[in-house]
Amino acid sequence: MGTGWERLEADNNVMENTVSDDWKKDWDRMKTAVGRDFSDGNPVWGADAVEPGGVRRYLEVLEFDCPLHFDRDAAQAHGYRDIIHLACGAGPMAIPPQWKPGLTIFNSDDAHAQPDHSPIRGIQSDLMPKTTGYFATEAEIDYFLPLYVGDRICLVGSVLLSCDPKETSVGRGAFCVFETELRNQRDELVAKRRAGMYYYNPKSKPVNATGNVDRKAN
Amino acid sequence: MDWTKQRYWEDVSEGEPLPTLRFPLSIYRLVMSAGATRDYNAIHHNSEFARRSGAPDMYANGLLLQGMWERSVREFIGLDGAIRALRGFRMKIFNTVGDTVVVQGRVKRKWREGKDALVELEMWSENAKGVSVGPGSMIATLPSRSA
Repeated sequence: MGTGWERLEADNNVMENTVSDDWKKDWDRMKTAVGRDFSDGNPVWGADAVEPGGVRRYLEVLEFDCPLHFDRDAAQAHGYRDIIHLACGAGPMAIPPQWKPGLTIFNSDDAHAQPDHSPIRGIQSDLMPKTTGYFATEAEIDYFLPLYVGDRICLVGSVLLSCDPKETSVGRGAFCVFETELRNQRDELVAKRRAGMYYYNPKSKPVNATGNVDRKAN
Repeated sequence: MDWTKQRYWEDVSEGEPLPTLRFPLSIYRLVMSAGATRDYNAIHHNSEFARRSGAPDMYANGLLLQGMWERSVREFIGLDGAIRALRGFRMKIFNTVGDTVVVQGRVKRKWREGKDALVELEMWSENAKGVSVGPGSMIATLPSRSA
C-alpha cells in the first residue's frame, strides 16, 4: 500500500510498464465527450439556504474565528450587508438533499451500509464504465460574489473538461474534471468551479454499486 | 487572532511567508467535518470502509482541506481583504486520521489590476508523509493606502 493515491508520473510509469492498458479503452467514450455538458440544462439546487448555524459548523471544525462569518455588525462595518459564508462554503451549499419525503435511503443494518442515494457522487453517465469508488481530487474556483445568509445556491451546467484514465495505488479509474457555475437565487454568478473527481474500482475488497461493502468478495 | 489589525497591500512583500497553521486530524474532527461540509462519503469517517476503498484509513475531505487554506489566507488578508480565486488545489496523498495537516504559504506575487490591489498566495499542505495538497494558490485583494 502506498501513502495515497498519488497521481505521480513516476508511479504511473511503473504501472504502465507492468500492466496492460486495455482497461483504459473502457473510458474512450468518456474521453470523446470532452466539451459536452452533462447536465440536463436545469439548475440543481442545494438543499438549504445559507443560515448562521451552517456557517458556524464550518468555523467550528476549522477553529476559525473570523467575525465576517458570525458577527453581522462586523460584516457590515467591512462593506457586507450581512454575515457571509466562507468562500469554500459555496460548494457544500450547492449539495442537493440527501433525503426527500417519500424516499427510503437506509435499507440495511450492516454497520458499514451506505444510503441508497447520495448527492455527492458527482456526474454519473452511461459513457463511463461502472465504478464503485470515488473521491474529489482537485479544484480551481473563481469567486465573483459573497455568499450571504439567506442565499440559496444552485449548480448550472457540468461541462467535462478532461478525462484521464490512470491506475493509482488505490485502483483503476479516471480523473474527470467538470466545470460548473454556482448561481444564487437572483441568478447571479457566485462562483465558477472546475472540480476533479477520481472514479475508480478499488484493487481489492470492492464495495458494491451503492457503496456498500461487498462481503461476498472479501 | 487580532482582527482589528489590517494588513495593507503596501505592507506585503513577495516571498513573505504566511504564518503556519496546524490541524490535527482526529476521528472527532473528521466527523464534525462531514456534518459541516455535508460530504458524508464514508471514506472520510469510517476506517474499515476507507481501507476497503484502497485508502490507508479514513481521511480528510477536500472541503475541509480547502477551509484550512481559506483560514490561513483570511488571517493574512484581514477583514478588508477579499478572496478572488483558488488555483491548483490538488490533493496528492491522503490526509489520514491520526496525522496533522500543516498549512503553509508565501506571497508569490503582488500586482495592481485597475482599482484592485492583488496578491497571489502560494499555498500547500503537508502531513507526516510530505506535501499532501498543492502547491496551489489563492488570489486575493488587499486594501491599499493609495486607493
